[in-house]
Amino acid sequence: MSTVNTWTSTQHFWLIILGFCVAFVPRFLPLMLFTKREIPEWFNEWMKFVPVSLFTALVVKDVFIDSESYQLILTKVPEMLAAVIVIFIAYRTRSMAISVITGLIAVFFLSMVI
Amino acid sequence: MNRRRPNPKQVPDPNEPLWRSTLRVAMPLNLSYIPIGLACGILLHAAGLNTLLTGLVSILVFSGGAQFLIATMLTINSPLLSIVLMLFFLELRYALLSSSLSPYLKGQPNRFLFIFAISLNDENYAINYLKFATDKKWTGKEALMVEHYSLLFWALSNVIGSLIGSTLKIDLGIVNFALTALFLYMIVMQIKNRLTVVICLLSGVLAAVCMMLTKSTLGLVISTIIASLIGFALESTLRKRLPDSHWLWKLRSPGAKQSAVESTDEK
Repeated sequence: MSTVNTWTSTQHFWLIILGFCVAFVPRFLPLMLFTKREIPEWFNEWMKFVPVSLFTALVVKDVFIDSESYQLILTKVPEMLAAVIVIFIAYRTRSMAISVITGLIAVFFLSMVI
Repeated sequence: MNRRRPNPKQVPDPNEPLWRSTLRVAMPLNLSYIPIGLACGILLHAAGLNTLLTGLVSILVFSGGAQFLIATMLTINSPLLSIVLMLFFLELRYALLSSSLSPYLKGQPNRFLFIFAISLNDENYAINYLKFATDKKWTGKEALMVEHYSLLFWALSNVIGSLIGSTLKIDLGIVNFALTALFLYMIVMQIKNRLTVVICLLSGVLAAVCMMLTKSTLGLVISTIIASLIGFALESTLRKRLPDSHWLWKLRSPGAKQSAVESTDEK
């Protein structure tokens, strides 16, 4: 299978090292700071809403936004329907694996039909 | 499982070795990492990463979302800087996770915190946070073991996925949906009251508008900040003015009892 990407392994390596740095700092700094002093209450209350907002934004990007022109697209019908199925399955089962696998199967069959 | 437990609330067997009791806690997560890790490995392979580097990225970055993002951005030939920037914004949420764990890790040496931070991620956080909150005997040491178990399963499934990717031809558009499904699952897990549902919808609309305006993934960051601030403001106003508001009612899932973490306690 031919690959679309033309990067060399060295470039991939540096991407991974940089990726490690940006992944590590947000995990480590708060841990180091807040084990020594108290976290302000408002900060916690605010941060509670960050994951849910970010995840929704990412899903909207995957389903409704074109990855090159950044315009709204409403043509990904299989993905939209599969997303509804995943939400339902996740709500009923609370299992990450079942949700993801059902989603993959759903999008596979829906894109054949639609 | 078939072992008899006198107390349904589960009294841990005091003679059970630590590696086994922590493995039992981590196992539902480990198993669910296998299909997602496989999908991620397949995508990374298709993006041109070799198997060795796929293993490395799984250990060093150790984040499903980030690795799927790397794969997607590599296939559309994004420049290095924009991939790293996008990763940074995606990984920023860990600031929240690690600050909420910090009360339980007070007094640990920096060296421990360093190692703990490297293998922290969304899912093992969820397990550890719940264990810290409900189990007084749960310490940093146990939490770190859970992290390492999940890391092992994640990295192995990625490597195997990468090897599968080199032998089979797979429709990438479909495998890519694994990331969307993963995020959808995490959203559902985050929904605690009706207000969160509202913030969710708001964030979705904001994200679309911001991305169309900025013509880049920076819109994601802007909409996340705005939506979370609105959620924070709405919740504190509601708490103060209308503490009985139905917007703050908890939502209970019918499947709540089978949650990955709780089921390990009940079996």
